[in-house]
Amino acid sequence: MAQCKTSPEVGGMGHSVKRKEDPRFIRGQGNYVDDVVRPGMVFMDIVRSPYAHAKIKSINTEKALAHPGVAAVITGETLKEYNLHMMPTLMSDTQMVLPIEKVCYQAQEVAAVIATDRYSAADGVELVEVEYEPLPVVVDPHKATDPDAPIIRDDKEGQENNHIFHWESGDKKGTDDVFKKADVVVKENIYLPRIHVASIETCGCVSEFDSVSGQLTVWMTTQAPHAIRTVLALVAGHVGLREDKIRVISPDIGGGFGGKVPVYPGYVIAIAASVVTGLPIKWIEDRRENLQADSFARDYHMTCEIAADKDGTLNGLRINTLADHGYADAAANPSKWPAGMFSICTGSYNFKNAFVEVDGVYTNKPPGGIAYRCSFRVTEAVHAIERMVDMVADELGMDAAEIRMNNFIPKDAFPYKSPMGWEYDSGDYHGALKLAMDKIGYDKLLKEQAKKREKG
Amino acid sequence: MATQSITININGDAKSAEVEDRLLLVHFIRDNHGLTGTHIGCDTTHCGACTVLLDGTAVKSCTVFAVQANGREVTTIEGMEGEALHPLQEGFMEEHGLQCGFCTPGMIMSSKHLLDNNPDPTEEEIRWGISGNLCRCTGYQNIVKAVQYASNKLQETSEE
Repeated sequence: MAQCKTSPEVGGMGHSVKRKEDPRFIRGQGNYVDDVVRPGMVFMDIVRSPYAHAKIKSINTEKALAHPGVAAVITGETLKEYNLHMMPTLMSDTQMVLPIEKVCYQAQEVAAVIATDRYSAADGVELVEVEYEPLPVVVDPHKATDPDAPIIRDDKEGQENNHIFHWESGDKKGTDDVFKKADVVVKENIYLPRIHVASIETCGCVSEFDSVSGQLTVWMTTQAPHAIRTVLALVAGHVGLREDKIRVISPDIGGGFGGKVPVYPGYVIAIAASVVTGLPIKWIEDRRENLQADSFARDYHMTCEIAADKDGTLNGLRINTLADHGYADAAANPSKWPAGMFSICTGSYNFKNAFVEVDGVYTNKPPGGIAYRCSFRVTEAVHAIERMVDMVADELGMDAAEIRMNNFIPKDAFPYKSPMGWEYDSGDYHGALKLAMDKIGYDKLLKEQAKKREKG
Repeated sequence: MATQSITININGDAKSAEVEDRLLLVHFIRDNHGLTGTHIGCDTTHCGACTVLLDGTAVKSCTVFAVQANGREVTTIEGMEGEALHPLQEGFMEEHGLQCGFCTPGMIMSSKHLLDNNPDPTEEEIRWGISGNLCRCTGYQNIVKAVQYASNKLQETSEE
């Protein structure tokens, strides 16, 4: 293969490049959000729910406020005065900043304590007394739409069950017909479980409001400072925080992986508290909060089917998916389709017929569906199709590479229109797989496998 | 809350303060004395981002009280560079042993403890030596290479 390498004098292409940030990182001179210190800064810590679904009967802040270090306790009622107790999600849903009536997942934010130092804030959290009345929970998405399932989002007008959306793509009738006539149908239930990104640095911010200029500055460990500025203006524009009055500074970030795209309730509370108190406020999650309450990825229950001929020709693909979105649809999905680009699930294969449908449901879990390109749902789609093609190969006793070679979209078919309506501009999948097989010595590996199987 | 007057020698400087008994060493280092190179990743001794040397032994400073370090010597990432970079710092940069950099100070301090006690570790010994430190950008391969780089360089220097 041709090597792309410029001369040593020019450098650049084909040469290793030293990273500009390394000299400060290896000296401990990075500037992560918890390293940011502002004059007069105070600290925030969050009271979280021990229940996944419970009515809040009362919140008593008296003992917390009596602590010498505690300056304020913020509840949903406090934020309601500014209409900041709820916020919109990027998927046209709503989610709580702090609850008034009830909590909908374990570790949900219930109240926030502002104090002079981290330790006093943590003391204050211990001293806030919350009385809960536990409610029945929905944990299994398969049971979310049962007639007797408790309705999680009874705050939403017209929401009479836990169903969020139905979305479909492709030709249902055409695909069903192909399955009726198929030589072979392979079916598999695939569950891509809920996972957490667990970036080594948890989430947090420092919020500072200048009451003279009306300017808000937020240092935030975020992957999307520009989008966050817009979202903050959407959340708090009605109290005067216009987009031009907000500056979001994203300092060095200790990993993000998608988990640092959303606006978490903690951010909004910290910002509201800094506006109300006039003090810079630092909020840094601990690991337990991060793992329990922050955005997840995946949680797709997929029932996948392929209709094939005896010779391994793939004719039809059908996928029915149940998507567990937690208690709010809060994916960060730029496509604006409720299941992102899941309809790329025909992959590199020349299917004539395909149909995919996704139903999203509410459960008593934190919202999200955002990490590792998860809002696009391409990881889920690619896993589903490649696993299914392997299964068809197994069913027919074919080689996994051979079945792919026989079903790839041919090079001369581009630009190619997929049965879901996507236009593929270019590609040479046969060439790419052949190259990969040559590079790893595929034939040799098959021989080695056969030999080892013989030995047992 | 009971307080005590303590002095901890951090990177050769005596740092004194009146602290609460419950103050964690990592907060003494970061908040009281502004040495923010030591990071907090988990608060529960799992991730190793807060690793420092206490009298030469690697400890996770999120699980040590500041008062336990009274009268003792602490080395943090900020104390690693002398006239030149420490070979470990150089190694992490040369071998691309970091991405986001958040775990790096802890990795370097654990590796320092390892090389001080075992100047020529095998790959397995290196992996064992840093097994208390998590990297979420998944750079272990290059972190091992970085420690090998430092091990080689330190040995060359001592042979000269």
